[in-house]
Amino acid sequence: MVEVKIDNSLHGKEFLEMAFDRCIKCSTCKFGFKNFEPSCPSGEKFLFESYWASGRIRIIRGLINGDLEWTDDLKDAIFACPTCGACMDSCQAPQADFLVDIIEALREMAVKHIGPGPNQENLITRTKDVFNPYGEQNSDNSDLKEKYGLPDQAEWVYFIGCTSNYRQKNLRDSTLNFLKKVGIDFTLVDEHCCTSPLIRTGQINDVKDFMNYNVEQIKKAGATKVITSCAGCYRTLIKDFEKFGVDYDFEVYHTAELVKQLLDEKKIKIKSSYDKTVTYHDPCHLGRHMGVYEIPREVYKQIPGINLVEMRRNRNHAWCCGAGGGVKIGYPEWAVDISKERLEEAKETGASIVSSTCPFCRTNLSDANDKFKMGFEVLDLIEILDQMTIEVKQEE
Amino acid sequence: MSDKQSDLYPYSYDMTEVKPSMPNFVVIPENKEQLVKLVKFCNKYIIPIIPYITGNNVGGITVPVKGGLIVDFGKKMNRILYVNENMKYAILEPGVTFGQFKKYLDDNYPNLRYSYPFAPPSAGVVGNALLSGMNNLSEKIGSMGDSINGLEVITIDGDVARIGSCFYGKEEADPDHWYSRYPMPDLLGLFVNWQGMTGLVTKCAVQLWPKDPFEKNIVALFEDLPSVGRFMREVGSLEVLNDISAVSIEVVKMTIELPEPKRFPGEPAMIANCPISGKTQKLVDAKLEILQNKVKELQDEGMPVILEDIDDFAKLLNLRVRSFLDLPAVILSLFEYSGLTWFGSYAPSHIHDELIPKVDAIFHKHGVPPFIYMKNMKSNHYGIFRPIIRYNKYKEGEEERVHALLEEITDVCIDAGCIPYKTPEWMTEKMRKKINPGWQNLFEKVKKMMDPNGIFNPGRWNT
Repeated sequence: MVEVKIDNSLHGKEFLEMAFDRCIKCSTCKFGFKNFEPSCPSGEKFLFESYWASGRIRIIRGLINGDLEWTDDLKDAIFACPTCGACMDSCQAPQADFLVDIIEALREMAVKHIGPGPNQENLITRTKDVFNPYGEQNSDNSDLKEKYGLPDQAEWVYFIGCTSNYRQKNLRDSTLNFLKKVGIDFTLVDEHCCTSPLIRTGQINDVKDFMNYNVEQIKKAGATKVITSCAGCYRTLIKDFEKFGVDYDFEVYHTAELVKQLLDEKKIKIKSSYDKTVTYHDPCHLGRHMGVYEIPREVYKQIPGINLVEMRRNRNHAWCCGAGGGVKIGYPEWAVDISKERLEEAKETGASIVSSTCPFCRTNLSDANDKFKMGFEVLDLIEILDQMTIEVKQEE
Repeated sequence: MSDKQSDLYPYSYDMTEVKPSMPNFVVIPENKEQLVKLVKFCNKYIIPIIPYITGNNVGGITVPVKGGLIVDFGKKMNRILYVNENMKYAILEPGVTFGQFKKYLDDNYPNLRYSYPFAPPSAGVVGNALLSGMNNLSEKIGSMGDSINGLEVITIDGDVARIGSCFYGKEEADPDHWYSRYPMPDLLGLFVNWQGMTGLVTKCAVQLWPKDPFEKNIVALFEDLPSVGRFMREVGSLEVLNDISAVSIEVVKMTIELPEPKRFPGEPAMIANCPISGKTQKLVDAKLEILQNKVKELQDEGMPVILEDIDDFAKLLNLRVRSFLDLPAVILSLFEYSGLTWFGSYAPSHIHDELIPKVDAIFHKHGVPPFIYMKNMKSNHYGIFRPIIRYNKYKEGEEERVHALLEEITDVCIDAGCIPYKTPEWMTEKMRKKINPGWQNLFEKVKKMMDPNGIFNPGRWNT
């Protein structure tokens, strides 16, 4: 066997090398470890080995070795995966934590040779054009700043994220209301896409520019802390900025973390009651990608009257909503089917509310809820909190 | 079905150094009826058929050396069809995995258990049984091939045959009649250990066992290598253990991610795992006493062995060592690199004394940490001897280096009387040089009768 040569210009080169050093295809990545439940939406849908993490590692080897040719036939095996990280959680071998990085490196290579996945080129063209992947006219958020009376400089920046700002405005407004209500010193900036959709789909040429731009905006606002209610932005700001060598000196919080901190420090108290049965859907980018499982749950549990129930697959075993990794734009029908499976699981719990902590999960779960008439109310944690009466303790 | 290169490629090679070869198609069947048509078609047009579950075997068994069609059972024909709690067996489709089976039994039949090998949870139960794999009740029940009660198979002409006590009835068998493989002529022998060369198995009944509520796990640590073989024979014959398996100490270190571990002076050379279980704590204690008495006797004779509770031993190293007990699990020492190969064999247990130091020395000669895994089976009726090699498939010269080591081990072990299983072609070739001509002629005649056009997994056993 001849030593492999990998294109030095690839950002994900180290992960492609890992695909050669590791993985004997034991197939542990295919099912939840120790709960042995189906966990991989891609493999469960398309079935062939090429659609599971270990199969994708084989495809990397074949492409770099020259055993496989770059053709459009490869696109589904490479791009039909929400990069939910269930494989990372299941795999017990040394490459486990890097399986999503390996898949993203494969996508980077694919974009160079055969172009992006289906419809996914829209993500980059729109973002380059109007700074968000939805192709909406960019908002510099000055209207919102005015509406909420926000200063130009503050301790915190609320990084809204494109999905909340252009698709899930109620989630955005609930976050704004909450931050105002609890007296956080915060502002908004003229933010651009965090680059999560670009990185997840292997379209990485311009991501550093976007990252640097956003860091610059946050610096200008004088903030030392950034809060986001988007699990995707949260993951990107913490993990991917570092991966791409973009440095910053502010702390990043997810909304759930701030709420938990305020509750723990007894700075706020939830006074009203929410007498409903709620089941929590772990967003992949918050759960498996960042290890945040208990913080949102602890917040729900402090809401008086709430009946929080768990789905069969929860926490690290949670079934993905199906929106991530470019699947929502590339394979829209399948994306909603994945969410349907999640909602069917939610049905078993008897919950009337399916709640999450990610606007993208909220979008896709809502789409499935509407399409298949599942009868749930789909709400973000912050939307529930926005309905509550919150007592704010004045600092002495 | 797919014939896309990207879908075929992952089926073209396995973890071993066996030369890759592309299939022409991969199919994912849903039922027997589809397969009957497929077998007839493939036989008519002479298209090789290679049965596949997860491709986890360590011998290139699912590498389609002559191209053809991979039948991937693992994705849809993976149903647990029936469990008979009274007679303790389950009827399975070929794609059922150990993890799936354990979960199903734990959830639905908590008093029953299956017997699990040191294979990952995604490995196939039926494939393991059909290839006479190992398990963690080996001292009690022996090879997994012995635990098959019956099969449903598709033979070359598309006929569906039911073998074992399920053979009554023209249509489907009564699910309560898959209880034994005796006393009729045992046609299971036409399929067990044939590596898919004689037909396609579509159902398999495997025996289950009562799950003992009380367990104790003891490890034996050996200062020297020659003692291990005798210890395992003496202790195995006591009939108090569920299983007895020993590994080189380097293997334990691999479990805690020491990549190329060494054995330092004063460290134990090998370690044997001796699980005990019983219906009551008293029974477990009594079994333990028998074990301890035997060990005392051996120590008095000068054998350098000590017993430790596995919990104390695990504290010394890392809780990951417990993965050896919590099967099916991922034993990290097996899954660290991109390649793995072995000489897995059945062996007369008396030759372990001679083989262990000899093979250990061969590993050292090649600069590879020794990875010897061995068992005694069924109250010491026979043994299992498995030197294993982990390696990086893509490091220049590594496959050649590993193959040279494996070939040297193979020669020594076959000379000593070991019989390799899940064999790659080159290994079978070596073995066939020693097999008596009468057996070889009979084997060829049976193969010809079962598969005249040679479409069932061609290349296996040099067919």
